[in-house]
Amino acid sequence: MKAFKLHNPSELEAALALLDTPEARAGKTRILAGGQDLLTEMKEHLAEPDALVNLKHIPGLDGIAAGGAGEIVLGALCTLTALEEHADLGKRLPALTQAAASIASAQIRSQGTLGGNLNQRPRCWYYRSEHAPCLKKGGKECYSYGGMSKYNAILGGGPSYIVHPSDLAPALVALGASAELVSKKGARTVALEKYFTLPSESDVTRETVLQPGEILRSVRIPAPKANTRSSYLKFREKGSFDFALASVALALVIDGGTIREARVILGGVAPIPWRAKGAEAALTGQAPNRATFEKAAVEAVRGAEPLAHNAYKVPLTKGLVIRALEELCA
Amino acid sequence: MARIRRMSNTSDPEALSRRRFLRGAGGVAAGGVLVHGMLSAAEPAARAPGASSAGETLEGEIEIELSINGETRKLKCEPRTTLLSALRHRCDPALTGTKEVCDRGNCGACTVHVDGKPALACLLLAADMRGKKLRTIEGLGSPDKLNALQQSFWTHDGQMCGFCTPGFVMAIQACLDKKPKASLDEIKRSCAGNVCRCGTYPAVFEAALAVARGGK
Amino acid sequence: MSSQKETGPSWGPRAAHTLLNKDVPRVDGPAKVSGRAVYAHDVRLPGMLFARVLCSPYPVATVEFDLEAAKKLPGVGAALDMGVKSVRWLGQPVAAVAADTPERADDALRALNAKWTPGKWVVTREQSLAEGAPAVGKNGNRGRENSQGDRAETEAAMQGAAGVVEAVYTVPVQHHACLETHGVTVDYRGGDEAKVYASTQSTFAIPEGAARALGLKAESVESIVEYMGGGFGSKFDLGFEGQLACQLSKQAGKPVHLLLTRAAEFTSAGNRAAAHFVMKGAIGADGKLLALLSDIEKGGGVGEGARMPQPYIYEVEKSWTKSVGVLTNTDSSRAMRAPGHPQSSFAMESIVDELAYKAGLDPLEVRKKNLKHEAYQRQLTRVAQEIGWPAHPNKTAPGKAEGRWCTGIGFGVSVWGAGGRAECQVDVRIGRDGSVSSAVGSQDLGTGVRTYVATIVAEELGLPVTAVTARIGSSRLGQANGSGGSTTTASLAPAVKSAAWNARTKFAEHLAQALGTEATNIHFAGGQVEDKKNGKKLAFAQACALLPQEGLSARGEWVKELAGNGIHGAQAAKVRVDPLTGQVEVLKMVCLQDSGLPLNRLTLRSQIAGGMVQALSYGLLEERVIDPDLGIALNANFEDYKIAGSMEIGEIVALIDDDDQREQAIGVAEATCIPGHSAIANAIFNACGARVRDLPLTPDKVLAALGRT
Repeated sequence: MKAFKLHNPSELEAALALLDTPEARAGKTRILAGGQDLLTEMKEHLAEPDALVNLKHIPGLDGIAAGGAGEIVLGALCTLTALEEHADLGKRLPALTQAAASIASAQIRSQGTLGGNLNQRPRCWYYRSEHAPCLKKGGKECYSYGGMSKYNAILGGGPSYIVHPSDLAPALVALGASAELVSKKGARTVALEKYFTLPSESDVTRETVLQPGEILRSVRIPAPKANTRSSYLKFREKGSFDFALASVALALVIDGGTIREARVILGGVAPIPWRAKGAEAALTGQAPNRATFEKAAVEAVRGAEPLAHNAYKVPLTKGLVIRALEELCA
Repeated sequence: MARIRRMSNTSDPEALSRRRFLRGAGGVAAGGVLVHGMLSAAEPAARAPGASSAGETLEGEIEIELSINGETRKLKCEPRTTLLSALRHRCDPALTGTKEVCDRGNCGACTVHVDGKPALACLLLAADMRGKKLRTIEGLGSPDKLNALQQSFWTHDGQMCGFCTPGFVMAIQACLDKKPKASLDEIKRSCAGNVCRCGTYPAVFEAALAVARGGK
Repeated sequence: MSSQKETGPSWGPRAAHTLLNKDVPRVDGPAKVSGRAVYAHDVRLPGMLFARVLCSPYPVATVEFDLEAAKKLPGVGAALDMGVKSVRWLGQPVAAVAADTPERADDALRALNAKWTPGKWVVTREQSLAEGAPAVGKNGNRGRENSQGDRAETEAAMQGAAGVVEAVYTVPVQHHACLETHGVTVDYRGGDEAKVYASTQSTFAIPEGAARALGLKAESVESIVEYMGGGFGSKFDLGFEGQLACQLSKQAGKPVHLLLTRAAEFTSAGNRAAAHFVMKGAIGADGKLLALLSDIEKGGGVGEGARMPQPYIYEVEKSWTKSVGVLTNTDSSRAMRAPGHPQSSFAMESIVDELAYKAGLDPLEVRKKNLKHEAYQRQLTRVAQEIGWPAHPNKTAPGKAEGRWCTGIGFGVSVWGAGGRAECQVDVRIGRDGSVSSAVGSQDLGTGVRTYVATIVAEELGLPVTAVTARIGSSRLGQANGSGGSTTTASLAPAVKSAAWNARTKFAEHLAQALGTEATNIHFAGGQVEDKKNGKKLAFAQACALLPQEGLSARGEWVKELAGNGIHGAQAAKVRVDPLTGQVEVLKMVCLQDSGLPLNRLTLRSQIAGGMVQALSYGLLEERVIDPDLGIALNANFEDYKIAGSMEIGEIVALIDDDDQREQAIGVAEATCIPGHSAIANAIFNACGARVRDLPLTPDKVLAALGRT
């Protein structure tokens, strides 16, 4: 890693001030939370910040608490293990705790944070290589497009075909979460569904709307409606420790033998957590049975545009949607 | 070490109202927040020793103190020195039981305990570990006085070349510390981030299960 | 052990063993589990410098770098230009730097500011064979062709067969992925001698090359291998990494620590050759394998690739095999645990399976029908029993690809030589103070050598294992062969036994004189020495007190009769497959392996289990990925080069074939990793009809084989 200054502010204001300097805005200062992604980027020289702003000495950023109206507020510095093991969250929002439990390894979860997980950079092996000057690094080309695309996007791709690697993202989008961002200018709230950006619609070098100078401070989840059940099913090539080849986050309201509401968010298949609206429509108002699930699965991948090496993600995602629905509705 | 929640001097009204809410919510367990009967697993952030309210900045050559296996170790390093590098190269005598294998968080060989939790030394900055209770493989036992898990690894042959072994022992020990009667599935999950090339997994599981089941 | 009129050492009757053929925990276990075992990577010396190597990120390129810029940085103690201006394989080293901290070494590497100008390369078989492809070697991209058998006769033998199968089977390049990377720590401080702590499979392969690089006499350099973190065939010589370390050390007059980074370990420390098998086979209605054509192209990088025998193990009436290496601008393959055999096994076991199903026959019975050695008959029967084949519903046709899970079973067999040779010199010393030590310069890769170097001596002298100190891993000790070909056990164990026997008989002679009895009456057992004639007993330590001041030494060398050759194994795998997602779970693997006399049943079972696990990983997950156009390595890390972890491991049953009663020491390290992945591939087909002919057996391929893509 390149040498850097390590700032350990003890107040949020101080941290925001450090992120507001011209150097910081030019990308020379990075936020250090758990460091489980940042340090890997720095060791590969993909990121060479002159300074790190460590958020871990600032109190009040890591809580799991109740907000108003049964809302749940998660501090961005909550560790993934804290989320995974939270008994009450596990009862009320199983999609969240299942997603947290599926991340990386126990060692990484104990240090990795909610904010870090949402803001992590892509795993695309072209992105992660110093020798592939791709679009995301300010280059001219997406190398996965005509290259080794096994782990890249089948939905929403172009001009970059990364998949967003976060497991918490699809689960939280399924749960209708929003993100609170703060900067020196103030605070703003963004629905998590709008937090992640498609490369075709936004700055291709970013994956989120987080601007230089901003810190993701917390994530709020509205109280789940009555009769809500949720889950997160992650499919890995290496079951022990891997990013998703594809994943499915579900939040269903089932009442009187009918699916009243459905949110189906796919992970591992698009540059953002992918809201499968067609699948949601195919489920809403239907009985939770295999025939319904199969229709939803077909809709989930409608419009998929596989690359040379990832056509398997189409049947895989379909199969996974069916398995996830079967398990959740069992 | 006592954990004290500091009052923020922020004028953020939301933060103020939350604090008021939390204080009024009844008994607060040490390090936790009780909300609607839901006990938070939140842990207050550690304080850097000697930090002022403006915080500290570290750069260049620094000297830090780390608590490792119950001892205080002074060492010279840089802000960019990982805990792994600090253990292996900056501590004197060096603590080389924690192995460097991938340096990217993918293999578990550098597993240590940070305040009782399993973590990868290669993805931690040494300077960030001040004020934490660190434990390495050397701290679990010595050849003449192995702890129960180490002893069980030995008798079940949970090691071949041995290079992955400290990482596996530390990962599984962290699991057993939290859940002494862990199941096979829990044991496997605890070391799912560890890689063994010689293929000792079956013996490792046997060794861990033997301890979890209370035998040897 | 008794001292009858003996002519020489023998292992003795199985029933008489007190330590051999039993479970003996490793003598180095406590050091390993407590993090006290010191590997080359762990050696710390005053003034030591940390080295980094600049390796090419491109398969073909010219390079410029600024050595002076690196040298100027604070803490840099040495820097080397290897004099290579253009590289011809991905990962080829060109320079090295060394500095006083690892961080400064990284800075120095960056300060070289290497500028690579990519050239034209081939990194895949297709690229290499394409018209007008850039030449890798002087003689083009195809190596020497070998062929055996008569093609026309073999074709003719397929006429009228009950089943004919034509298929292409492929295996990718795989990596040894040793957890301890290649490298050495060189303890040289500018004087006349040096110690080299090496991560190596061959203690004695180090000193000469190291001495040359250091400008010293060979006898002034000691190589030390107390522990090493895995080799699997890739660590047989000093390597460029050892060479560079010595050169840097010489330049600086200081110790140098050079262990490759993980990325360099992938690109530049060897690999297992890829292979492309074009096969055509024929089977008779009675299950006899009638004919096999094999056209093999091996992918060994800039090298030829291992020999891949076909037909592999099974008896085929008529066969023709052609084999050639197809060169690419990538690191040469090196021996990797049973070189060539896992590749050949995959192709052979797959086609035997396909032929069996084609002819509507039981794949287990077809195997038995075409295997000569009687060991396979009982081994296959036993593993079939263990895996649950008799009650398994799908035997002559696969299960249907429906339902939540489809369960299937597959088989495979292995063969290996693993004989020994006369190379080892072992010394046993018994001290007047009662201490016993056994010394030889051999290395222990995790194979358990150190333990049997103690155990054999302990049993011979009637002592517990803890009473014997095993000294290994130094070139100052007696000669030993490198650990390759699984030859260590059959070479070393007999020499240890010989040394132990020599020590015991010498001790008995001495005691006989001291006690006024016949040497043949002196027995060593239970930590005591007994005169069988009059029943007088001494504690071992008391007997030692009767030795002269200098104690007693004995040397032992190879005894041909104590070594064996030729081992066999059978394996079975049970998997379940989700037909909707292509997910494969290996529920159980079983191996029944013979190995002559088990020196230590505990460590032997670990070798058997370890081989199965490695094959499982190889079969399900591993492949090297290089971008053919950019030329860069895409998975030189443990994130995307996936090695099986805990959740991939189901029930692993390692069985020692005790029907093999040979009183001979034979090595077993390689045989056990040969057929596991083949058995898994066959099990996947048996489960749901998905025949995957290309490793690794990942979900995408299962889905494709099921026609879902």
